Parts: sequence; C-alpha cells; structure tokens
Amino acid sequence: MLIYLLRRLAFAVALVFTVSSASLLLTRMAPGDYATEALGVGGGRARVEEMRARYGLNRPIVEQYRAWLAGALHFDFGRSFAYDRPVADLIPQRAANTAILAVTALAAATLVGLPLGIVSGARSRGTLTALIRTGSIALLSMPPLLTSLLLVFIAARTGWFPIGGMRTGASSSVDIVDLLRHLVVPASALALPIAAMFERLQSQAMREVVGQPYVLAALARGVPRSRVLWRDALKAALRPIASVYGLVVGTLLSGSFAVEIITTWPGLGSLMLEALRARDVYLVAGCAATGSVFLACGTLLSDAALALVDPRARE
Amino acid sequence: MGQLLTRQPRKLARNRAIVRTATVIAAVVGAVLSGGCRPGNNANNANNANNANNGGNGGAGAGGTPARGGELAASVHTDPQSFNRLVKRDSTSDLVASLTHARLVRLNRATEEVEPWLAASWTRAANGLSYTLKLQPNVTFSDGHPFTADDVLFSFEAVYDAKVDSVLADSMKIGGKALKVAAPDPLTIVVTFPEPFAPGVQLLDNLPILPRHKLGASLKDGTLTHEWGLGTPVDQLVGLGPFVVTQYVPGQRVVFGRNTRYWRRDANGAALPYLDRITVEIIPDQNAELLRLDGGQLDMTATEMRPEDYATVKRGADAGRLKILDLGVGFDADSLWFNLKPGGLGPKDARAAWLQHDGLRRAISLAVDRELFANTVFLGAGVPVYGPITPANKKWYAADLPRVPHDPARAIVELASIGLTDHNGDGRIEDAGNRPARFALITQKGNTTLERGAAVIRDELKKVGLTVDVVELEGNAVIQRVMSGNYDAVYFRLTATAMDPALNPDFWFSSGSVHAWNLEQKTPATDWERRIDEVMHRQTASFDEGERKRLFDEVQKIFAEHLPMIHFVAPRIYVAVSTRVTNLTPTAFSRPQLLWAADTIAVVH
Repeated sequence: MLIYLLRRLAFAVALVFTVSSASLLLTRMAPGDYATEALGVGGGRARVEEMRARYGLNRPIVEQYRAWLAGALHFDFGRSFAYDRPVADLIPQRAANTAILAVTALAAATLVGLPLGIVSGARSRGTLTALIRTGSIALLSMPPLLTSLLLVFIAARTGWFPIGGMRTGASSSVDIVDLLRHLVVPASALALPIAAMFERLQSQAMREVVGQPYVLAALARGVPRSRVLWRDALKAALRPIASVYGLVVGTLLSGSFAVEIITTWPGLGSLMLEALRARDVYLVAGCAATGSVFLACGTLLSDAALALVDPRARE
Repeated sequence: MGQLLTRQPRKLARNRAIVRTATVIAAVVGAVLSGGCRPGNNANNANNANNANNGGNGGAGAGGTPARGGELAASVHTDPQSFNRLVKRDSTSDLVASLTHARLVRLNRATEEVEPWLAASWTRAANGLSYTLKLQPNVTFSDGHPFTADDVLFSFEAVYDAKVDSVLADSMKIGGKALKVAAPDPLTIVVTFPEPFAPGVQLLDNLPILPRHKLGASLKDGTLTHEWGLGTPVDQLVGLGPFVVTQYVPGQRVVFGRNTRYWRRDANGAALPYLDRITVEIIPDQNAELLRLDGGQLDMTATEMRPEDYATVKRGADAGRLKILDLGVGFDADSLWFNLKPGGLGPKDARAAWLQHDGLRRAISLAVDRELFANTVFLGAGVPVYGPITPANKKWYAADLPRVPHDPARAIVELASIGLTDHNGDGRIEDAGNRPARFALITQKGNTTLERGAAVIRDELKKVGLTVDVVELEGNAVIQRVMSGNYDAVYFRLTATAMDPALNPDFWFSSGSVHAWNLEQKTPATDWERRIDEVMHRQTASFDEGERKRLFDEVQKIFAEHLPMIHFVAPRIYVAVSTRVTNLTPTAFSRPQLLWAADTIAVVH
C-alpha cells in the first residue's frame, strides 16, 4: 500500500511540474509579452526594450525557464509583472475561493447524484426513474459553461439569487448565509452535470448489485428492502464512483475556471485569465501549478480511497 | 490560407445575419433616440444629458442642490494593478487615481476647457515659457496633512525620477525634455516649459499630486516604485481627491468612501462629493456586467454599451430602471492602415509597388460604403468619417475636408492606375506580373466591432476585385505585429490621449511611437510626412488659437490626400445608467464616461 501511494505521489509531483512548466513556456512563446501589453502601440520600441530588460523578458527562454525552476524548487514562484507582488502572495486567497466553490459543488453533486442513482438503479421502471434518467441525460449533455449562463439568466430574471460575486456590498465580515446565497449559481452550474454523471454511474452499478445472489438472499430472508439497498448494496456499488472521483476533481477545476468568469467568482480562473491577457508569465505558471496541485491531490485521494475499497487497484 | 478560405462562407452567412440584426437594432436605437433620449448629434449632448438629468432631478435637495449621501455601484473589468499611479497605466489604476487624487488643473472632458483645480489661477509670462500658478488655500490631504507647493515639487520630482521610471514621465515632457518647477512660496508654483508649447498648463492634467509626507522617504531611498502596491493597508493611501479607498477585495471590488476633507464645494457652497460611497465591482465579463446592470445590482458600467446590448438595456429603460445617455459621436474611429515602412514587406515582396501606393488607399476609401459600414458594424449608430479627427472634437475637426463618396467604379479606375486590373476575367484583379492582388488584414479577435468591420472591408473590397484575408489575433499579438512591422495591413482602434493635437505628438510626428504605419522614423520617409512634421511644429509652438486651427486644418488636409490611415465610421457613444443616478456630466471623449467627474454625481435615495 505504501509503495502504491508513493508511486501515485511521484505521479502527482510530475503532473504539477509538467503543467506549470508547460504553461510558463507556452505563455512565454505566445506572440506579444507583458511589455507590449502594458505599453500598447504607443509604448515606443526603446521603452518596450527597457521594460523587457527590466523584467528579464529579453533573456533566452531556456535561461528564463531555468531561473524560474531554480526559484520554484525553493517555493519562490517569481514576481507578478502586473501586480508587482510575489506570485505566492497573490494565489492563496484566490485558490481558497476556488476550493470553496469546488468543494461545495462536489458535495452538492455527491449528495444529489448518489441517492438519485440508488433510487433509479433499484427500480428499473416507473415514472420517477424515467424522470431522473431524462434529467440526468439532459444535464450531462450541457457543459458547465452553458449551465452557468442559463442559471445566471434565470437568477437575473427572477432575482432569487445574486448573479455574481462572492459577497454582497462592502461588508468585510464573513456572512455564511450571504456566501451560500452567492454560491448557489456557480456551484449549481458545476454540480449539476457531475450529479448527473454520479447518478448514471451509481444507477448502473446499483442495478448490477441488486441482481447479485447475496442481495436476493438477504431479501428472501426478509431483511427490509431499504436496509438491503442503503446498507449492503450501496457499499458494493460505490466502487465505480470512487474510481472516477479523482477525474471529477479535474473536471470540476477545468469547468470552474469558465464558470468563475461567467459568474464573476473571484477564484483562480479569473486571476489566470487576467494573467494570460497580460502575459504575466510567472502568475500564469503559478495559477496553473495551483490548479494542478488541486488535481493531483484529488487524484491521490481518489486513488487512496479506491485502494482501500478495492485491493486489486494496488497492483 | 485554405483554412481562411473555408471560413469565408460561414462569415458571409454571419454577415447577412448581422445585417438582419442591424435592421432590428437600428429600429430600437431609433426609438431610443426619438422617444427615450435627447435629440442631438454632437458632443453637446454631454451637457444636454447633464441638464436633462438635473431637470428631472429626483435627487435634488433644497435650492436645486443634489441630495447628499447615498451609494453608487459601478464596475470595471480588471483589478487595479497598483494604487501607485506613477508606475501603472491600466484603466482601473487610472480610475482609482482619478477618484483619490487631484491635479493642478482639470481638462473638463465635457466642455473641452481647462479648469482651475488645485491651482486656483495662473498667468503666462511674456516669453510664453513660464506659468505662475496660485494654489488653492486651506487644502488638506485626506489624512489632514496640509497641502502646499512642496507636494507639487515632490510630484514632479517623483515623475521625472529615473529610479521610479514613471509611466507618466513621457506625458510630462515636451520634446523629450522635462519641465522646470519652482515654488517661490507655499502657495505659488512656477512651471517653465523647455520650448513654446501651446496647450500650456493643460499638460498638468496628467499629473496626480502626491503627498511628500507619505512618500518622500521612499523617493529618497529609491523604493517609490514599490510603494502603494495592492498589499498596502488602505488607510495608508492618502490623496487630495474626492474619495478614499476604504476596502479592496482582490477579484471582487474596490470600495471608496467620501473624503471628508475634500476641498471642493458646489456652486451653492455645499461640500463635495455628494456621494458617501462608491463600490466598484470587478467583473471581467461584459455579458455578466450587463446582466448585473439590468438586474439592478449595478448603477453604471465601466465602458460604453456595445451595439448588441441595446435591446437588453432598452428593456430596462422601458421598465424605468435604466436610462440610456446618448453622448454623441465618439472621438475615435477604427482605422485601416498598411505597412508603409520602406522595405517593411520584405525586400523580395513585389506587392510593395501597389500595397504601399497612395492609390490603393484612395481606392479602398472609395470602395467601402460607409453607410453600409455604419449599419453593419455599429448597427446604425455611427457616422461616416474621413480622417482621424471626428466631428466630436469640435475645436479641431476640419469640417471642410472632402467627403469621399462610395464609388466602386472610381475605385476600379484608381486600382488600374497603379497596375491592378482583372487580366483573366475571373473577377479578381492582378498586378502587372499577373500575381493576384491579395493581402492579409490583421484585426483583434474578440472585439466584435473590429471583427465585423474587417468582414465588411473584406466583402466590399471583393466587389472591386481585391482579395483580403482577415486574420484575427489576440490583442497583444496585434500590438506585437504592429511594433515589429510584421504585417501587410491592420484594422484596429488607436485612441487619442488628448483632444488637442499638440498633446498627441506621437501620432502626428514621423518620429512618433504611434505613427503606426511607419513607427519612429529617424527622418521622414516621405515628403508629405515631412510637411506634416513642419506644420505640426508650428502648430504646437503658436499661441494664436486661430493660427493653430488653420495649421491643423492643413495637417488634416495633407492626411486626407495621402490617407496613411483610412477611417470609415465613428461610432455614437451610448452609456446605460440607473435612473436613480443624477447630476451626471458625461463625456464621449474618454473612459470612464461618467465617473471622470465623480465628485458631482448624486443619487436619489
């Protein structure tokens, strides 16, 4: 088990390294740079060159990458050009906001998707099953971006929930109710397709499990159906969900970046978009690295969970 | 290239859809103009808007004074990059500076006049080089520290300091030379220009006056560049402006509270600003911004409305939540220019003979139907223009410039005169070597008016046989291509930084960094550019306003003859604002169109 986890940890480190390096190099190679963005057409060639020299953008790409890598090994991820602050100072708060959104969405998706999957998996026919299945297929076919646009539109028309942001007004105190109200639209946009996926997976697994002899035997012995389903069958049917949880975390993050922009959620997505527009290479790399850390952690946890419930996965 | 060609049918279909949409939206705009808004067709509308708002003044207190107090919610698209305006030039940092700092003089964006601000009055010396400015007495910074001439000296020292390397330094120099500043007494400043400079003290509108008592030490030790970054506690930020920053939440909002020590009063002697608080929400997406405006969560947006947003805003206006202000014609128009640098297309590119010829640009100006352009690109809300100065700039616009008609037949004759004719009868013209007359037109991806404009140009030029390959690039990539001279043609918008042409030398002089068609020339590449340089030198140095106008008319005439840039249509500027906001002084000149005069804005509450 320990060797297995160490192997997965090594994979996670490689993932973070690859993603952050690739994002830095690709941003650096894209046409234009921070100097042209900051100074515009009227900046003047001499001034643009001065700025490039000041920020080290005139150095060969390999040299710049090497210097960044050396710093990153000591947890110094460089300084944002645009904000003139260390990248490490800019990211934590935005990462926390993204994490709040992602965790809420994941919890909502799990709490909605799993029970619905059990219900629809336990009964192969019926109006309720058909309704759940139809809803899931509809939601699965909609990307989070479209779902968020639809939800923002509904929120704007009805006025039921805030359309964007994370907090109302200029209050500096943390108001949980206010935060939850602001979470409804972005978290739902992320959670609904995932809940639909969980429902489908759980439903299929449940259908397989309820046909197993030990379930039939339990029912024949007179054990109440609800107890068999929610205690015995559920435990066995959780394996497929556990195996995709890691992937879901990745989907959640990539989807959350788009949802954050639409719903003006102040997370990593909007910061990364701003950094990309400004060609703020170190900030882009920092955001990408943080996103990949989330992904790696999610994958690692998922692998660990799977290894616990299914020893075959360790091999 | 193949990819570009396969995209054309889709784009044509999209254009047809746009034209259909244009008809509908034009009708909506027409209804807005005739019913909901004030009539008018020039920048005077800014004043009309102000009067109209005051006229129906739900927020006025006794004696016509707008009601004091209340909050306003506005928006921007990005976080500020710093609270130190000396080191950052992004639009949000500029907005923060305009709300929290004051200048010696203010260019009134609505009237185009220079007004006393921290300087109560000024006189010009007989030599035309020196100005003596008398400062307002009894002015204090937001922390209570008295403001004196020493703070003005400090601000000049800071902006010219080599270590600070301020982004404002160039805008505070004449011909690359700094102004000399002296303070004979605590309320007097003498500013000496290095050479005669007609706009005079208007230049001082560029410089926010900063507190020496807060920043003097960091200027001395060379760390001013890093002062007032985004991590600075907001109570450390001190200024002379109407508001102070009271909260900054990264990615969410900047909150400004009333500066209780602000020095300005209104005509009735009431203390300004009227508002208690302005919350500026950070909303990167313009669609989300529009939804929040429509939903009542915002009172105004950062920029003017996009043509495609009229329908949504009109619904809000019909419901009484919003009003649409027509600010008249904009000061800037999107423009098409070619790479005119000699040899800029490459030594072996035979197309240079016609691609850099005046005749091609004249033909394009004739071939594009400006009415169609206005209807398609700006959905009817635009006016044809024939040069870089639009009718909005009343003082400097040359009304007698020849109007170029839409005349494709004449365009074909012009093209033939530079050797471009249809040799093989396939409907496309070729040069003398039988090579197709074809060029790539770069424009900015994601900017809907530029994308639509480039498509119209392509379609209109196809009718006279020219083949245009539209290449949409991200904004930064367009700038990089322009600066490196790696392009055939560009369709983009360059915005003027000032109304007075003498304050835009980088555009007009051949050595300028915004002389986009051939940047930063050591000596003028053409005779007509040399002539423009000469006339602009005289125009900048003359103190006779009539003579300056005559000289600038001559510059515009030379420009129109040689067309280094082709302008088609200037958009009309509309802004949407909540009906509860009153006492506005809108401007079509620059963004933000409403918040530039934030100290006199009021709300009904």
